Amino acid sequence: MEPLLSVRDLTVTFGSFTAVDRVSFDLHEGQTLAVVGESGSGKSVTALSIMRLVELGTRGKIENGEILFRQPDGEVIDLVQQREDDMREIRGNAISMIFQEPLTSLNPVYSVGDQVAEAVMLHQGLAKAEAAERVLEMFRLVRIPEPEKRMVQYPHEMSGGMRQRVMIAMALSCDPKVLIADEPTTALDVTIQAQILGLMRDLREQTGAAVLIITHDMGVVAEVADDVVVMNRAKVVEHGPAVDIFENPSEPYTQALLASVPRLGSMQGRSEPAPFELVEYDS
Amino acid sequence: MKQIAARIAWSVGLILAVIVMCFSLVHLAPGDAALVIAGDSGAGDPELIEEIREDLGLDDSYLIQLSRYVGDVASGDLGTSYRFNESVTSLIGDRIWPTILLVTTALLFAIVIGVLVGVFTARRPESPVSHGVTVFSLVGYSMPVFWTGYLLIITFASNVRWFPVAGMRDVRLEGNRLEEWLDIAHHLVLPALTLGLIYLAQYSRLSRASMLEVLQSDYVRTARAKGLAERKVVYKHALRNAVIPVITIAGLQFGALLSGALLVETVFNWPGLGRLAADSVFQRDAPVLLGVLICSAALVVVINILTDVVYRMIDPRIRVGGST
Repeated sequence: MEPLLSVRDLTVTFGSFTAVDRVSFDLHEGQTLAVVGESGSGKSVTALSIMRLVELGTRGKIENGEILFRQPDGEVIDLVQQREDDMREIRGNAISMIFQEPLTSLNPVYSVGDQVAEAVMLHQGLAKAEAAERVLEMFRLVRIPEPEKRMVQYPHEMSGGMRQRVMIAMALSCDPKVLIADEPTTALDVTIQAQILGLMRDLREQTGAAVLIITHDMGVVAEVADDVVVMNRAKVVEHGPAVDIFENPSEPYTQALLASVPRLGSMQGRSEPAPFELVEYDS
Repeated sequence: MKQIAARIAWSVGLILAVIVMCFSLVHLAPGDAALVIAGDSGAGDPELIEEIREDLGLDDSYLIQLSRYVGDVASGDLGTSYRFNESVTSLIGDRIWPTILLVTTALLFAIVIGVLVGVFTARRPESPVSHGVTVFSLVGYSMPVFWTGYLLIITFASNVRWFPVAGMRDVRLEGNRLEEWLDIAHHLVLPALTLGLIYLAQYSRLSRASMLEVLQSDYVRTARAKGLAERKVVYKHALRNAVIPVITIAGLQFGALLSGALLVETVFNWPGLGRLAADSVFQRDAPVLLGVLICSAALVVVINILTDVVYRMIDPRIRVGGST
């Protein structure tokens, strides 16, 4: 079956530094694909490049490659070639994104309801009252208690978990085909992480959106991913179904990444964690 | 609301402290008020001097004089000018509006233009215009107010004659109210520009730095990820956050702006409080000097309360009820 999103030989640079080097992967309808790797491996830049946000507010430049996206009407377009006006139609609408820090990702001076309504009014052309109804509906969907009361609150009046639910509500408010989640649980504590991951899984089933999740946490990968792309130093080093990656990792880097996951009792008899073995690849 | 009420109550106490301090300073200053009132011709007449002292209660103790003055001020009476033999309240009443007009025009000009320039240069930080604005800000900030004033007078009032040299009104004008207002506005341009330029330089730098920081923030990235147009991202999501430091600094600087107004009023012969204060110092007119000091303090306090209100309107994190 033709993929919903197909990234082909994507290369992104920041000046003379190559942050993403000939990265390719496919994302199919209803699939959850995890992009894993340590900090600086290029996973977030890959995500921002799909939204073409890497060129706005940063010095990033997409040097090469294609990002083919199958639109709801079946037409396949290359996002790299789209004009900024056309990309704005796609952002937050057909492809939406949630970020790592739910506190700093929401504007502190506007109520959370207004911030979600803004996306709905922009892309679905709803009037203010209809948009408010849609916000309520979305807040209920992401299981925010007392949504009427919550929608007039400001980000600082909410807990981390609630703020991330608001971000998810905002991202899903226009029924996206692709949801990109950049480290959505990293800033949350463990119990809230589990709630948010459970919520994302349920929502994927309800809405049918494909999910591209960026993470460095192998626990999150095991929890939600169908397929995994492992990145190291701007390159894809391994790509395959999650089960295979966990059971038979073929690349030394993936093996080292899996071995680094702390296990109960692994610190017994040691005063500090075992060092992470560096794996070098020839470029 | 409760916090604002507390702030007002606190401000009344502050103004009372200012009254006590100013009165004490004037009281401590050397010189005899009776001699000033009697003037050159009356100074040699001991009976006249004694009579004046008795009339004004200058022989009473410091505490009695102070409590009498505080009581008078509370009832709206700031005393009588030694020089003009006129009520200080009415003298200040005539002069306070020109000063408020000058200072608010200069402040609004500095904030509005400064923020717009700051936003423009923050969006293009490496452009020649941005570097030009940085240099202009440095020059604007370094120029003394009186020098800027004379420079503007020479250029725009003397050479090209676009604006009047000094004053607030054209005495020859016989027109309707609109024409009078336009005439005042015409006279206002150069003094307000002189006073505003130095603050324009500061606010454009401040809002540029603030905007550069805000444009890198996560919530601006979220706004872009929503598909908003760049104009809306900048003017709706970024600007409201970026003006917060500008509003804070503008409120704090209002006192300095009033002292700047004194120089500008002198250079442009603008009939405001600053000139009244300067004249009262040279003429040893203590009641007028005290009145001006108290009014200036009250103005600063009122502006600070207004800044607080605006600040709360812009930034909900300052409002009561936040959990963090």
